[in-house]
Amino acid sequence: MRKQRLSIGKAADYLNVSIDTLRRWDKKGKLPANRTKGGHRFYYKHNLELYKKNIFALAKEWLLNKPAEPSQKFYCPTSLEFKQKLSLLEKNLKRRKKFAKDYPLIVAIAGEIGNNSYDHNLGNWPDISGSFFANNINKKQIALADRGQGILRTLGRVKENIQSDKEALYIAFTKVISGRAPETRGNGLKFVRNVILQSEIKLSLEFYSGKGRAVFMSGNEKGMFSTIDTYYPGCLALLKF
Amino acid sequence: MELKLKKFGHILISRQDGREAVAAIKPVLKDLPENEKIILDFEGVSTFTPSWGDEFLTYMLEKYGDRIKMENTENPSVQATLEILNSIKEDKVV
Repeated sequence: MRKQRLSIGKAADYLNVSIDTLRRWDKKGKLPANRTKGGHRFYYKHNLELYKKNIFALAKEWLLNKPAEPSQKFYCPTSLEFKQKLSLLEKNLKRRKKFAKDYPLIVAIAGEIGNNSYDHNLGNWPDISGSFFANNINKKQIALADRGQGILRTLGRVKENIQSDKEALYIAFTKVISGRAPETRGNGLKFVRNVILQSEIKLSLEFYSGKGRAVFMSGNEKGMFSTIDTYYPGCLALLKF
Repeated sequence: MELKLKKFGHILISRQDGREAVAAIKPVLKDLPENEKIILDFEGVSTFTPSWGDEFLTYMLEKYGDRIKMENTENPSVQATLEILNSIKEDKVV
């Protein structure tokens, strides 16, 4: 099927912004336009649809609604589908000049968080197996979620007396531990934290599990851990780059 | 001998794949003469994480120790992974 193209005027109407704003977004790389052979800007409608959509809100909804598979577009039933989508993300990031050097770190962070979903829940999914994985390169966002057992329960298998989701997140992101007894290894989330805090490019991560929330931003010395009112089953993450 | 890691894929991220890589390489290394160096070449690996690294590199380093030499490790995800795997050796496991 031929992809639907929109002129810059129609794209501006569709997004409810001015043509000048779109030109500016194009220059800054926030929402790059395509060009006709004659040099005129045009946009593919499906790219604009994605730009409008808030992928993090979709991930949250999936966790808070009754158990059901998420939209097929973002659903990775097994690690195989996840890896395929991750490979596509890598390819698309690599193509953008501004990510040409640092894309491996962005993909590695998404890969670690996404694979944790499968490594810690294989055969133990409470309801819907698999993960939600969406990215919007124009908005520089990646959203990941799973309806798995969450950090507190997986850590509880190897470490007793963890009092809260907040404490579980703190341990997961700062201590070397694994939720897959009897192994004593486990460093994926610690890697994620280190890479973000030490990053030369702007990176940030919000990570939720149960009522726990962890936030990391490049340039800061450490992360922030807190308890929130909303309960998210499994894990939920938003990576901005 | 030289092992080109890209032969396991250019995105090396999951524990499961790391374990499979170990299983695949074991027969190849079985008849390796003692004292022969093993070069792990990262050329062509685009994304690398500690999960894969922990399964594969930790195994290789525990078994072959000083005989391992790594090459073409400039990729930032390779660098970050090697850094964390090194620091973990020094950390106390809780």
